Amino acid sequence: MKTKMITLCVNGKDHRFEAPVNRTLLQALRDDLKLTDTKYGCGTGECGGCTVLMDGKDNVCSCLTLAVEAEGRHITTVGGMTREGELHPIQIAFIELGAIQCGYCTPGMIMKTAGILADNPNPTEEEIRKGLDGNICRCTGYEKIVLAVRRASEMMDTAQTRKVGGMSA
Amino acid sequence: MSSRVLPQFDLLQPRNVADVVALLSQHEDQVSILSGGTDLLVWGYIEKHKTPYVLSLSAIEGLDNLDYVAGEGLRIGAKVKVAQLLKHPDVIKRYPALYEAAVNFATPQIRNMATVMGNVLRASPAGDCSCAILALGAQVVLQGSAGQRLVAIDDFWVSYGVTERKPDELAVELRIPDVTSETRSGFQRLTRVHEDLSKLNVAVRLEMEQGTCKQARIAMGCVGPTPLRLKKTERLLTGAKITAELLQQIVASAREEVTPIDDQRSTAEYRRQVSGVILKRVIEQALAKS
Repeated sequence: MKTKMITLCVNGKDHRFEAPVNRTLLQALRDDLKLTDTKYGCGTGECGGCTVLMDGKDNVCSCLTLAVEAEGRHITTVGGMTREGELHPIQIAFIELGAIQCGYCTPGMIMKTAGILADNPNPTEEEIRKGLDGNICRCTGYEKIVLAVRRASEMMDTAQTRKVGGMSA
Repeated sequence: MSSRVLPQFDLLQPRNVADVVALLSQHEDQVSILSGGTDLLVWGYIEKHKTPYVLSLSAIEGLDNLDYVAGEGLRIGAKVKVAQLLKHPDVIKRYPALYEAAVNFATPQIRNMATVMGNVLRASPAGDCSCAILALGAQVVLQGSAGQRLVAIDDFWVSYGVTERKPDELAVELRIPDVTSETRSGFQRLTRVHEDLSKLNVAVRLEMEQGTCKQARIAMGCVGPTPLRLKKTERLLTGAKITAELLQQIVASAREEVTPIDDQRSTAEYRRQVSGVILKRVIEQALAKS
């Protein structure tokens, strides 16, 4: 088959559309669904700019995932982190600590942070740094990003961790 | 609009291994097999190969087994992700070479996507899991229309990017032999920054008995067209007590045995120089974990 009718569940909402099979998840998000919060960086899985969360726990590169292969999974992008107009603690931590300069890597960094904390709600600094491997920021020195992940882990209780990914009400 | 658009292909999504084998027999070398996608969907790679069909393993039930059975060893199904190795108690406890390779493998999101089998099938001399799997002495299970056959990992890589797998076969499982309480293994690698491909990697498996090495397997990557066994250096270890003097001989022997080249990640001269040192360190690291 060259195209396939698929239903993508993004941020808790189903989107049904006909996708060419050679469409990456990143292209589907940005070009078909007009959800441009996930960024295109290198297109080869090296920069982390396109990182999304699958099923509320696994970080993947949306540039190396076919859209048709993401059917049936719960996809969370940074646009899905906000709840009823309120920022997620991870977003608040990044803002409060100034862990942003140009902001291009930030959607990937936020989703990576959600993945790190879903696996390990109280990471050490070393675990945070290892977890952030694969997400490149060309503006900052990473220090504030590491501090923001730490702050987010302090702000989040287990209930909020579970909320990530639209997995619960 | 993202600037890189994948070439056109027909997607095949069979539901079981028998259907995969039938499709592979039908289309032969017109098919690329997709699982993790971290190699195949990198634009340059798929552009180069440009097969009219991409066969995805995503709809297949099974092939995701990761089991240790005492007396038999570890079995890794074709769809097992590198990240799964990091959570498996028997991998952590019994196969430190494989665990260390998985810990150091690429980045968290790539580990969540890439399969262990895919790393072996890529047949790159820089594959980190491949290096550990060669040292541990695995077998690759290939399923064809006539049935299964087992190929020893020592015979599996033919040349750069080329394996023993025939176009109509699916690699379904890796089998890593069991270890004893006296088995030691380890893995190390050198990179410029963490997410780089290795400029050199090395893994060992040592069967020890009261301080004497009964049997050794040494695998080194990025020093030849495929991951290499350093068989001459292994012979120095076999039957020997591992002393500081012996380790110095091993350093010299490894440097003679490797055949590195210059490329964008390092030079032949540097790789030759560090090959012995890294091997010495990984042997010391493996023996320290007792």
